[in-house]
Amino acid sequence: MITAAGLEFRNVTKSFGAVKALAGVSLTVHAGDAHALVGENGAGKSTLLKILAGIVQPDAGEVRWNGERLHLGSPREGLERGIGMVYQEMLCFPNLTVAGNIFAGRELIARGGWLRVGDMRARTRAILDELHLAIDPAAPAESLSAAHRQLLQVARALAFECRILVLDEPTTSLTDAEADHLFAVLEKLRARGVTLLYVSHRLPEVFRLCDRISVLRDGHHVETVDRRGVAPERIVRAMVGRELPPRSARETSAEAPVRLELSSLSRRPCFQNVSLSVRTGEIVGLFGLVGAGRSELLETIFGLHAPDAGEIRLDGRVITPRSPVAAARAGIALVPEERQRQGLFFNLTVRDNLVLPDRTLRGDALVRADRERDEARALVERWRIKTAGVEVLPDHLSGGNQQKVVLAKWLATSPRVLLLDEPTKGVDVGAKFEIHEIIRREAARGIACLVASSDLPEVLALSDRIIVMRAGRVQGEIDAAGATEESVMHLATSLERAS
Amino acid sequence: MKRLWQIRELSTVVILALEIAFFTWWLWPEAGRTHPFFNGENALLILKYSSIYAIAAIGAAIVIISGGIDLAPGAVMALTGVIGSNLFVVHGWSLAASMTVGVATGLATGLLSATLIVAAPLPPFIATLGMMGIARGAAFIITEGQYFDVSSRLLGGWRPFGVPADWVAPIVMIVLAIIFQVLMTGFQWGRAVFSVGGNETAALFSGIAVNRVKFSVYAIAGLLAGVSGVVLVLVQGQGKADLANGYELDIIASAVVGGASLSGGRGSVIGAVLGTLIFGVLRNALPQIPGATFYDRLIVGVVVIAIVVMDQTLLKKRV
Repeated sequence: MITAAGLEFRNVTKSFGAVKALAGVSLTVHAGDAHALVGENGAGKSTLLKILAGIVQPDAGEVRWNGERLHLGSPREGLERGIGMVYQEMLCFPNLTVAGNIFAGRELIARGGWLRVGDMRARTRAILDELHLAIDPAAPAESLSAAHRQLLQVARALAFECRILVLDEPTTSLTDAEADHLFAVLEKLRARGVTLLYVSHRLPEVFRLCDRISVLRDGHHVETVDRRGVAPERIVRAMVGRELPPRSARETSAEAPVRLELSSLSRRPCFQNVSLSVRTGEIVGLFGLVGAGRSELLETIFGLHAPDAGEIRLDGRVITPRSPVAAARAGIALVPEERQRQGLFFNLTVRDNLVLPDRTLRGDALVRADRERDEARALVERWRIKTAGVEVLPDHLSGGNQQKVVLAKWLATSPRVLLLDEPTKGVDVGAKFEIHEIIRREAARGIACLVASSDLPEVLALSDRIIVMRAGRVQGEIDAAGATEESVMHLATSLERAS
Repeated sequence: MKRLWQIRELSTVVILALEIAFFTWWLWPEAGRTHPFFNGENALLILKYSSIYAIAAIGAAIVIISGGIDLAPGAVMALTGVIGSNLFVVHGWSLAASMTVGVATGLATGLLSATLIVAAPLPPFIATLGMMGIARGAAFIITEGQYFDVSSRLLGGWRPFGVPADWVAPIVMIVLAIIFQVLMTGFQWGRAVFSVGGNETAALFSGIAVNRVKFSVYAIAGLLAGVSGVVLVLVQGQGKADLANGYELDIIASAVVGGASLSGGRGSVIGAVLGTLIFGVLRNALPQIPGATFYDRLIVGVVVIAIVVMDQTLLKKRV
């Protein structure tokens, strides 16, 4: 048994307001191992990583490396201690060159303050060669593909001679071939003795790369297991903490009138020739990997972009919404993917946030604060939004409750069509089930729901019908009753396998 | 108590009160003399001159709350003042007609900036920087270096609607401040301005007509700068091209001192008006302190920074 060798989290605790992100997490990553950290959204993975990176300070507990306590006060200290991070959101400076990105914050400097541009390019060249990356160190980072930008972060970590490389969902925006390349690089690093901490909820990747797997759930460390001798199903159960509830056997009549119909809708290069229909009371899942064009499709229906060709019909009538206002007036609502950026106003109260779309559509001139307060309270109660009141700012709410606010503000407008883009991204498991329940209930009331999600279990659990998109095209349609993860995934990736 | 402090305007009132108390104490006269600073006549003087800044600062605050910036008000004030006084003095128009044209000119500059920002679309900083040059340049072209003497034609006790001339500027300012404070806090339009400034993307996704809101904001700022310019020539008595030189920075500073956040989404009309009064008191009192005259610009700069830093640390708000 190896003691005190490796990276050790001891009783790490962190709360954000009322939300306990980590409740005393203790786990050990052996030096030289590839260790996976898995868990659902909201399980606390990101918080643990942020603590390791020095971005967030824990309320209690400590982090040790080979027995020595790490004082991680800032991201810089993390780097200096040899902890390299590869983030999901792909932090990079698009305006700097490749070499500039790799040495950002740690530029090689000659006497007199001059940048040693040539040396930095040469070092970059060497690192890129080592990774078998054919990238010009002098090229601007914005000219790189998503995959290369991801690998640029790995290269940056290598330039700092990291001992621990932390990767947070690094394959989210990569194609299979690109992911293969990344794994090859990671294998090589591990052979050189770099400790890998790999965070993902994609189990096949985890099983392919990692030696040991730690599961987090709701801020707790559930278990750490050896990859050998454990079945993926067991990990899934540990992540979810309960059996997934069976699909509610809702009968959507095939005779129900078609409410939303798209015919050959195109907006190049995002999506082409998309034809689909959603009946009254039906939940249609729109599945695809990142970059499949789902968000752009929903935004086009919502009037944020103009289509190049094709028609949108609502209850049989052709509509051409030129703005979200027009779409919303017609009865279309969109719950966008990024609630922080696209959904919420953090300078306004929960009340303002909840009533804004409805009031904007009604075109009232006056703000009737009392009436709005009553309405907002009713919405908070109805959708069980946990908040200290309706006159607080939404940044005090947890991710799940923020998402419920965005959902509730649109349901308050009594839409006929509800478009949802990744409705449970970054919310905890409890809120996820509640949001699913809300969607089911609203569909039962006759709203046509089109749910874009890359969360396959969610799509399977929620939808009556599943439409699979890939690279901007509809790949196929599956009745949810007969759908399995394999059949959906096969459609989503089939083109690639064929080629 | 903490709650009270969170009402941002209240802390501005407190700062203003402390400032007045300080100068009252500092400038306390020898026994038997009237106080040189703390008297009714001087208060009216401060109010009158602050109103010029305050009317434009209402517009500046609204623009800043919407997440934008307007660099043009100083130059627009000069242009509208010059046009109004030119029509009144040179062309012999009636006072009402010439000043209305002046105000309309202000609105026109606002509409032009708004069009550039919404339709071009240019960043507000660039569009209004250009507008600032255009307006100031037009003022010089119209005057050809002369000035138009408004006060000589107004002689004989000008009392519109029976209001003493000194009270005109403060009354116009107070009426406009109340109107726009109510519009910003009690009307959907005001909340739309706050929402666009707080999160423009979310505003778009929430069905708010973002472009229309932005357009209205710059149009209003132009209109108010126009009113401010007209009031300026009435107070100073002459129209000339270098009027209100550099006022835009004082106006923006007033809005910020009054709680407006340059990143948008925060601020208030009343706060901006109180901010202009803070500077108005400084401009009035400092010259009365022997030797302080040369320090007044420096002190104004220090005050801006000090108040905003205090605001940030005390209330933990973002600027």
